[in-house]
Amino acid sequence: MKIFYITAAVLLFALSGLAAGAQERALRTVVIDPGHGGLESGAKGRFGNLEKDITLAISLKLKALIEKDMGFEVVLTRDRDVDVSLENRSATANNHKAGLFISIHANGAVPKKAAGSETFFLSLNATDEETRRLAYLENNSSELQSRIDPSSDEDLMMILWDMAQNAYIKQSSRLAELVQSELDAMLGTRNRGIKQAPFKILAGVACPAVLVEAAFISNPDEEQKLASEAFQMRVAEAIYRGLARFLRGLE
Amino acid sequence: MATTEKKLKLSKPALILGGLALVLLVLAVIFFTGGGEEKVKPLAGSDAPKTPETTGEAPAMKTVTLFFLADGDDLLHKETREIAAGPTEADEAERALAELVKGSEGGFISPLPPGTRVRQVFIARDGMATADFSRDIAENLSYGSTAELGAVYAVVNTLVYNFKPVKKVMILVEGAERETLGGHVDLSRAFLPDYSFVAR
Repeated sequence: MKIFYITAAVLLFALSGLAAGAQERALRTVVIDPGHGGLESGAKGRFGNLEKDITLAISLKLKALIEKDMGFEVVLTRDRDVDVSLENRSATANNHKAGLFISIHANGAVPKKAAGSETFFLSLNATDEETRRLAYLENNSSELQSRIDPSSDEDLMMILWDMAQNAYIKQSSRLAELVQSELDAMLGTRNRGIKQAPFKILAGVACPAVLVEAAFISNPDEEQKLASEAFQMRVAEAIYRGLARFLRGLE
Repeated sequence: MATTEKKLKLSKPALILGGLALVLLVLAVIFFTGGGEEKVKPLAGSDAPKTPETTGEAPAMKTVTLFFLADGDDLLHKETREIAAGPTEADEAERALAELVKGSEGGFISPLPPGTRVRQVFIARDGMATADFSRDIAENLSYGSTAELGAVYAVVNTLVYNFKPVKKVMILVEGAERETLGGHVDLSRAFLPDYSFVAR
């Protein structure tokens, strides 16, 4: 049991280190993630619009806004129509030591009437899976003790990155709130509010991270909005404003 | 004294043989009569019969509650359904999920894409149900976040709500772990049920 606490302590220490590090670099790099891409089109609209094209268009507009008015470095997880794995997307954020991560999506539901905008942050769907993983290390404690340094322990690092977002839930929730209130103010769509979900893309990101669902591409009315330059620009502007308010709060 | 000693010496091989015979006898008895309570349990979905054997009477039925979508709100709606009962809860769980794919009888919408087959449900002793679907569950629908959350939680809620031993659910596709169904919801971890968006 002792080694369990040691492991937990090491994890907490490492995560708090990540959190502290992120605050110092918070004002340098924003990573924008245009959802889907390449063979993976995402949701499809009745008029043939694809989620991957709309997310890229909005992301490029948001990038331009941030670079023009804030002077931060903006990194896109993709800047054209290519496949990028979810793992590589969060790795892009972590490798660039992102201060903020924004994943942009267009929503899809089976019922065609579903409509509106919402902003997600990660839910900690904590089952005893985490406990099981820690128990594995507990049972292999001799192995762990011989290389307790997280920088060299692959298992430990895996757990660490799996849980990277856990240290930022509170900040992510605040970011989601601010982005969502701006979307509500600017889009004229139904406000679906902020929500938590166990999204893969958010779990491995080591900084405040949200996923924006601008509107429903599965709803014919909203599909046409999403396909229009003017609406895309308003989405980008709203996210930009929410982000700016979040950064002001950090200062 | 000497005779006793000799007698003992003489009988030593006999004693060893007798002892061995006794041990063999005991082992044989244990082998043929012991372990009567341990029946080999067939794995769910293996060659076990999919429907209970008909005994001439009406087959035993079980009422299950399924979770469907509706046009006009974002909630999951309950609908009850009669399915054949037994022999195992895993068999029943497979039938309940198949009904979920088949769709609503009350005008609701299935959250799972048409063509999806339930390959197997396995219920482990620790309360983990593993639901394995054909690839159609991932390929026959271009999921958005909302559709994906609906599909996952309709499956999870249906299993946990109806089958008492099930506490959490892991979703597999074609017998293997898959990252997501359509790029959003992380399938690498087991899900607890979420009834927060079930219509009252």
